[in-house]
Amino acid sequence: MKALMLITTMFFIIYSSHAGPSKYEEAMQENISKLYASRTVEEYQEVINKFDRIAAMETDKWEPLYYAGFGYIMMATESKEATVKDKYLDLALEKITAGTKLQPQESELIALEGFVHMIRVTVDPATRGAQYSGLSMQAYGRAVELNPDNPRALYLMAQIEYGTAQFFGSDTGEACAKLELAIEKFDTYVPDSPLAPAWGKGGAIASMERCK
Amino acid sequence: MRNIITTFILGFITMAVQGQTEITGRVTDGRGGPVIGANIFIVNSYDGTSSDAKGAFNFSTSEQGSQLLRVTCIGYETYETPVGLSAEKLNLSIPLIEKVDRLEAVVISAGSFTAGEESSREVLKPLDIVTTAGATADVAGALNTLPGTQKVGETGRLFVRGGEGSETKTFIDGIEVLNPYSSSAPNTPGRGRFSPFMFSGTSFSTGGYSAEYGQALSSALVLRSKDVPDETRTDISLMTVGADVSHTREINAGAFAGKLQYTNLTPYFEAVSQRIDWERAPQSMEGNFMLRKELTQKHELKLYSNFSWSDFVIYQPTILDESIKDKIDLTNNYQYINTSLKTIVNNQWSVLSGISYTNSIEKIKLNGEKNNEREEGVHIKTVVANDVSEKFSLLLGGEHFIRSYTYENAALPDERPGFDLDLTAFFAEADLYTSNRFVSRAGVRAEYNWMQNRFYAVPRLSVGYKTGENSQMSVAYGQFNQTGRNDLVRVKNNLEDEEADHYIINYQREENGRTFRIEAYYKNYNNLIKFTQAYNPESYTNSGEGYARGVDVFWRDNKSLKGVDYWLSYSYLDTERDYRNFPSYAVPSFASGHNFSAVFKYFINSLKTQVGGTYSYSSGRPYNNPNLDTFNSEKTADYHDLSLNASYLLKSNIIVHGSVTNVLGLDNIFGYESSDRPDENGQYVLKAVKQPASRFIFLGMFITLSKDKSVNQLPTL
Repeated sequence: MKALMLITTMFFIIYSSHAGPSKYEEAMQENISKLYASRTVEEYQEVINKFDRIAAMETDKWEPLYYAGFGYIMMATESKEATVKDKYLDLALEKITAGTKLQPQESELIALEGFVHMIRVTVDPATRGAQYSGLSMQAYGRAVELNPDNPRALYLMAQIEYGTAQFFGSDTGEACAKLELAIEKFDTYVPDSPLAPAWGKGGAIASMERCK
Repeated sequence: MRNIITTFILGFITMAVQGQTEITGRVTDGRGGPVIGANIFIVNSYDGTSSDAKGAFNFSTSEQGSQLLRVTCIGYETYETPVGLSAEKLNLSIPLIEKVDRLEAVVISAGSFTAGEESSREVLKPLDIVTTAGATADVAGALNTLPGTQKVGETGRLFVRGGEGSETKTFIDGIEVLNPYSSSAPNTPGRGRFSPFMFSGTSFSTGGYSAEYGQALSSALVLRSKDVPDETRTDISLMTVGADVSHTREINAGAFAGKLQYTNLTPYFEAVSQRIDWERAPQSMEGNFMLRKELTQKHELKLYSNFSWSDFVIYQPTILDESIKDKIDLTNNYQYINTSLKTIVNNQWSVLSGISYTNSIEKIKLNGEKNNEREEGVHIKTVVANDVSEKFSLLLGGEHFIRSYTYENAALPDERPGFDLDLTAFFAEADLYTSNRFVSRAGVRAEYNWMQNRFYAVPRLSVGYKTGENSQMSVAYGQFNQTGRNDLVRVKNNLEDEEADHYIINYQREENGRTFRIEAYYKNYNNLIKFTQAYNPESYTNSGEGYARGVDVFWRDNKSLKGVDYWLSYSYLDTERDYRNFPSYAVPSFASGHNFSAVFKYFINSLKTQVGGTYSYSSGRPYNNPNLDTFNSEKTADYHDLSLNASYLLKSNIIVHGSVTNVLGLDNIFGYESSDRPDENGQYVLKAVKQPASRFIFLGMFITLSKDKSVNQLPTL
């Protein structure tokens, strides 16, 4: 009986000590899968709302803010009107900034910030190209500096380097080498958390086609 | 013991069962329509959901007792309500209030064309100014392709909606600029002194502008100086007409940039024959200096200065006898300095104070006789802006102008006509957003002119209404006043200001990279300066008057054709005046009834080249033939011009740019000048005013040196 009580108590202690995080992780994991499966503006808004609800509770966690920001970037790419794209990108940056306040050294957040600037360029390349591609390059540089193994930072950086080289008609070799490294990292990099971002590999492999 | 365990287990089960409260409802906007994608949740829990396409929602929560339900959605104010959670199902109706968002809301577009880098709503981008063919990187040249302007090719200035060139005032960071155009030989176009590369934004208003801008009868051109970038680089330009070098350097909490330019048209005029007999082709030396420094987190200092020296000598045949030539030797010295301090007090309050000094000395030797003109000016201005809320903002300001003008004429050595003008002004303006769809702006401007001892108070009113997702209408009314031109006020100092009333109605539609604009206006001029004898102050009065009315249409499209961006402008103008030395109401010689421009730009990716073309048309302009009875009754032939340009990216940091104006070489006539007295047959002789050369060809190479090799002058070209 004593043993049973001990086990029960232990079970409760273990359960209660894990109750918070696991509820968080469970909710996050479910929603992250939903995010990756989303295709329309409405679907993205719905998962962003969920991340917002989690972020409002878990005020010390950067992940919900990261994914909400990523969702807004996706919404921007799904939209056609320039003003609408800009609005979503503003919201994405708002989330990312809130995230970097909690975790200033997080390579994933910095890389995502660079992604926002990169999408801004596509809204109006002629006017914004110079300014925003510079900002985006800076952010990727910092993200790689913070974590040289971050495959997303390497992949995005390779993307912008490839575009620049192609525009100016210079050699794309350096960009392609970086892309290859990114693909390698996608396979080998083991994140320290089950909630860590996992997107980008498909895009990187697709981009590799251009290098062949 | 068993009981304890049972209780534990039971407790868990009941908690799980009891915890479910179902909450359903609908989220609506102010007009009962559904709000899609709103976030509905119980504060301090994960429980919540999003509203669907009908605004409906449905979720269950395990929270208990009295809780707070929050609803958030982009574009709406956050909504909160306390809810009591028990087993009972809740049904809620949630009305959201639309949030006024300045980026989303209607803007007052009547009379105004803005060009900026930030907003994707802008009609024109700074880049457009420099890539417009035929404009040869001149601000006024590019703006002349917009509706509301008249082509007056022999001056190079902006003539807006039946107004003279002097009725357009230029401001840099809100501070007035005197003499914004470089000096040029009679009937040859002058260029703007300020390079478009120096500005990040341009707001060109063709009427009905803010109470902040005074002493401009027809138009305000507001240039926003560039934030000097925090990056060290050197730019070198080699051109057929000269060379320049500029350097930008990052400093502690700021940056400075300097540019030196030397132009000399001698080699060009040697190669391409000119109609003008130049003794010494125009040459100029120009320097620009900019500084930006953050003094503290709340204070930012900006300094901008421009100095230039230019000179030329020409022989101009007299109209009556072409073999007799007047020798005109002109030297101009110009200095402009503008300093401003921006203070952000807090989220609501900001203060911008600035001071500018202009000094322009023009020395003209006409056949060896000196005619010197000097204008000096100081403008001090402070503007306080208060964003009381998203819905209401206030602008208050005060300014003082000092202007001193003297004219020295060798023929009249004892007389030195001129004037000293002091003017104090205050203005206040309020913007009220009733919703994202409706905005009204009311302003008033009060001026005291110490030279005239006269007080002026003028109202400015405008409203904007969003008629649909992408379309809007604006209406504007305003009264405007401006002290007469230097060459008139110098004869009689206490002439009153000239006055104009503007009435404007505008419709604008912007969708998917396409913009359509139509604007109708009526302008009423009064108090215009009138005289019978040019040198007799007694004959000067403010009894002149006039009107201008018309329709401006603008279409821009950068989506329909891949890589192509084009715009079309058409302006219809009907204007008459009875002013200056006019014997009666007549159409002024600068006014043409129909103006049309088509601007085309195409980026060829495979060639790394941007090509551009501009076609301009303007119907005949009136001119006076003194041999006829009726004043200004003759008309010139229509004006046509086709200009082309191309920029080629040679290397990532080298750009080659070339442009040709009037490719077809048409012999355009701007107007006619008549002899000051009749010839031996009793007839006045008329002489056509033509372009100085049929074409102008420009070639240049622009090189950028920086650590990051991919940086080039493309953003500025």
